[in-house]
Amino acid sequence: MSERLDALEERINALRAEVRRAVRGRDGALARVLRAELRTAERAWDRALAPQDPAEGSLEDSPEPAGKGARGGDGPGSDGPGSLVPVREQVHEALTLLGVPASARVIVAVHGALRAGSLRGTQLASLRRDEERSFRSSPFARPYYLCAALTDRLSASRGLLTVSTWPQERRAIGPLSPRVDFLTTAIRVGEHILRLEETGEPAPDAARRLLARLAHNVPGVPVPSAAEDAPPDPAVVVRAARAELDVHAGADADARARIAERARARLGDAERLFGGRLLSLAREEAS
Amino acid sequence: MERFDRLRGAVPARPHDARAIAALAANPGCGRRAVMDAAGIDKDATATHLGFPAPFGRSPFAITRGNAFEALVKDSGCAELLRLLRELLGLPIPLAAYTDLGDIGGNPSAHLRHAHTLKLIDRAARDDDEAGTLYDHPLLRLEIAGHTSYLEPDVVAFRLAGRFHIVEIKSFAIVDGQAEPDKVAAAARQAAVYVLALRNMLAELGHDPARVSHEVVLVCPENFANRPAGTLLDVRRELAVLRRQLSRMAKVGAIADTLPEDLTFDLAPDADGVPTRPVSELREAVGAVGARYAPECLSTCDLCFFCRDEAAAEGSTELLGRQVRDALGGVATVSEALGLADGTLTPGEGQEEIARLLRLADGIYGVYAEAG
Repeated sequence: MSERLDALEERINALRAEVRRAVRGRDGALARVLRAELRTAERAWDRALAPQDPAEGSLEDSPEPAGKGARGGDGPGSDGPGSLVPVREQVHEALTLLGVPASARVIVAVHGALRAGSLRGTQLASLRRDEERSFRSSPFARPYYLCAALTDRLSASRGLLTVSTWPQERRAIGPLSPRVDFLTTAIRVGEHILRLEETGEPAPDAARRLLARLAHNVPGVPVPSAAEDAPPDPAVVVRAARAELDVHAGADADARARIAERARARLGDAERLFGGRLLSLAREEAS
Repeated sequence: MERFDRLRGAVPARPHDARAIAALAANPGCGRRAVMDAAGIDKDATATHLGFPAPFGRSPFAITRGNAFEALVKDSGCAELLRLLRELLGLPIPLAAYTDLGDIGGNPSAHLRHAHTLKLIDRAARDDDEAGTLYDHPLLRLEIAGHTSYLEPDVVAFRLAGRFHIVEIKSFAIVDGQAEPDKVAAAARQAAVYVLALRNMLAELGHDPARVSHEVVLVCPENFANRPAGTLLDVRRELAVLRRQLSRMAKVGAIADTLPEDLTFDLAPDADGVPTRPVSELREAVGAVGARYAPECLSTCDLCFFCRDEAAAEGSTELLGRQVRDALGGVATVSEALGLADGTLTPGEGQEEIARLLRLADGIYGVYAEAG
């Protein structure tokens, strides 16, 4: 229990520092979000302390079930008890697992299936904008930012989220990239299930359902007959997706490298992360 | 042009969307609709002011459902659509490029987006090897009686043997290989509008317009699941009707010229947009242009209830549906048909044949009535 309290205290301190930075940077919206997170963490700290202090224990109306730990938020709402890991960290976790730019819908599905997370699409809606604001008020203050993928016009691709620490090539979207990223998603999910199976842990049903949904659109995976609704073999899915990926990989890497090259040459730090403005578009038209 | 401006009054012309253009093709014979659409008149407001508000307007649930299904089909670089095209048209595996023509940064104007679409479609048509395969959110343009309308088909698929295919995503279900014929017909008409607009674009760019296939890919949920399935839809017939109707609208000036000089459908809205024109006056004005009512109008035209009321008041045969109306060619009203049948009315010139048939029918009914 004391380990958990330590982690919480660390988190509370970190949040306080971030709130201070946001207020200094006159970023009201971000500060509000951070303050809410801070309050949630403080409440959780109170609750974690309560069982050790019988006098306090009765004050809490709904003590959080122990053992949930500080990882993988539970409860349906962001303000519900227990979702201690902030949304951006949950998204970061999902994106790191996938390793490719992903839409909010995919992030929510993957996080829900593989991490038993409870992200909701609406929580991700303003994420990129908040991150951009934070970056512009104090650049590179955070270890990572959730940022945009760049189209071949160097503008932010609609709806896709990436991580700022990724190489620029991975954050570029060429014509074949959506397909490549879809296949990579299928491979990563398949591999994750295989890893779980290796350690002797059965993969959650949600993960298998997600894989089945992805596998449906990967050519070469045998279609399950209607009678037996057996989930596809992860190894087969991974192999089939790799086979198609090999076809596209070369052309896609070239296209992405070209976009990344142009982004590096033309865009400033913030634009490289969050997408160029119409100015670059006009320049493009002129050239 | 001034003629139409006068008909419309002091309000801006309403742009047409694909649905409205498709509805035009549904009843090509209606002069009232042709004139009002050519002038860009807000038919809904007109009908409401006349006291016959239109029965439609889609439910927000249907719209949400449609959007959700479209998002499902287009998710992850059109993963579902690629599978369908591979199954349906034998699209080779390496062709999986996806280009979002709407995603050009910022909040671009329709004009800018159209220019971008033009550029990329031109590039696609020019060199097949470097071209993409799926083009999402293209913005096409169609000239309708002097007004430019921007149209946004769901997806344009290219490079299936060097041809462009329009993809139309609809959320009505195909159950056991069958869908509601009305809905399929409406989808085909709408897709035909896109095919025509894309063909015009290719012609404008100096390419062969025939490279836009007349076979449209219709994507619908299959059976009772939400899984998309695709079918090919031949829209040649719809294209022909549409083309004829559009050329008629280009010549609609001829219809307009026969109308009284001072005729106007102006609602004379006051500062708050509330119509101030006397209803009886407007009724007279709308009545001055001949309509051709058919029961099908009830699902496509804002003025349908007004026209139906008018047809009923005249005892017109149009109320009985197109087939009956066509069979009774030259006989305008139900009472006239009945008169010809029982012989109380002498057939006029050219009505002898239909009168003979009606009398025969009357005789047969008489025999059965006596027998039974």
